[in-house]
Amino acid sequence: MKPTVIVVGADKGGVGKTTIARAVLDFLSLNNIETRAFDTETPRGTLYRFHPDETLIVDLTSTADQMKIIDTLNSTQAKVSVIDVRAGGLSPALEALDEIGFFDAVKAGEFRFLLLHVIGPSIASLDEIAEIAPYMTDANYFMVKNHVNDTTFFEWDPQTHSKYFEDVNTTGEITIPKLGELAYEQVELAGTPYSFFIANQTAEGEPADHSFVLRGYVRTWLARVADEFERVGLLDLITAGVARGR
Amino acid sequence: MSRRTFVFFVCSPHSRTGVTTAARLLTDYYLSRGIAVEGFDTDSREPNYALRFPGLSRVIDLGDVKGQISLFDRLLVADETPKVVDVWSRSYDQLFSTIAEIGFLEEARRAGVEPIVLFQSDSSQTSASNARMLNTTWPNLWLTVIHNEGAAPLRSEAHEILSRYPARGKLVIPKLESAIATALDDTNLSLNAFLRNPPSEISIVVRAAIKSWLIPIFTQFQSFELRMNLLSSQFLR
Repeated sequence: MKPTVIVVGADKGGVGKTTIARAVLDFLSLNNIETRAFDTETPRGTLYRFHPDETLIVDLTSTADQMKIIDTLNSTQAKVSVIDVRAGGLSPALEALDEIGFFDAVKAGEFRFLLLHVIGPSIASLDEIAEIAPYMTDANYFMVKNHVNDTTFFEWDPQTHSKYFEDVNTTGEITIPKLGELAYEQVELAGTPYSFFIANQTAEGEPADHSFVLRGYVRTWLARVADEFERVGLLDLITAGVARGR
Repeated sequence: MSRRTFVFFVCSPHSRTGVTTAARLLTDYYLSRGIAVEGFDTDSREPNYALRFPGLSRVIDLGDVKGQISLFDRLLVADETPKVVDVWSRSYDQLFSTIAEIGFLEEARRAGVEPIVLFQSDSSQTSASNARMLNTTWPNLWLTVIHNEGAAPLRSEAHEILSRYPARGKLVIPKLESAIATALDDTNLSLNAFLRNPPSEISIVVRAAIKSWLIPIFTQFQSFELRMNLLSSQFLR
């Protein structure tokens, strides 16, 4: 399996990047794919709070941290690296990866690169696409519409769509369904991966006391998210390099 | 040997088919045998069932997640206490969609809880098709039909109508003359206490009629309970 970097990002804040990164980590773990994660929310680390064992807090603009990620892609046992990019950090992160020659390595077939671009509800989100387009030549670009917080998205007419996407070859569009407010809040409070919450376990693996109803809602939601990831062929892309999605 | 904990969903997609009467009778049946029982009323506007069992029932708003938590989390406790849910016709869809969404039935079986649907029949096609839908969705879910001859009479077509229901078993609640039935409307009248000690202020005729109505119903519940216990016993199947 070729080393794969999955960047989850958006330049807007509050669109649910970490929610998506957490769902990706759970999805890959449930599919027995060893994964490591990087949280660029320095120094606090939001993703780190939920996945401390496999997450490192990094500053993507620091050379030392870039080395921690890129120089270890071939040597680490975890063949998939998920980078949760903080709000406003997507374009600088891609720029930094470009500067160190990461995209040349992707072009040369050394690594695989996937971008999960989490889109907000406003047209401003689409402007981000123009900014990231230059880095997407050899990437697999997924547009992610996150409904987890009841966001509603405008419908794009074909003209608007082609205007923004003429330079980006979209591999797939992922729709994250809504998760009930109370269930969402309880997983946040629990501070564990979704799969731990569903299994009624604390972060330490001890039995927890979460409501069955809320666990049921989270389980159904995570299954639907996994269906979406499978539909766009995320797993095939990571393991075989081809998106054979449904 | 521990027994499975029964959870009864007494339901119908239509109103005025006798759901609350059946839930009340089942609750009183257990109480008459000295068995503790817990009740849930999903009609938060007019909780007629909960009003009759103030100490042992609670009103649930199924449209609210907190209401769902207080119902389903409690139903999953395998403490051998039978639980009776009086499902308001307007919360019928919400109940079963929540059951599906949270995977309640699968978890119940794992926890040693046996969910049972007591489906109130009526003469409409939609009721029978709703029952078939439940059976198709959950083939292992125990579904028994209750035919209330007073609230939802099926008359001469009873045999044909009941054959449309995919039920494992049938319970019949006989019609009670309206003059006698009025006595049952009193929310303070406890049917299990009535059997032990019929209130002297009720006329002898009414007392006799209620008693002869109640006993065959309770006998059906007893035989149903025995059948369920035999089926869930690993030694007696």
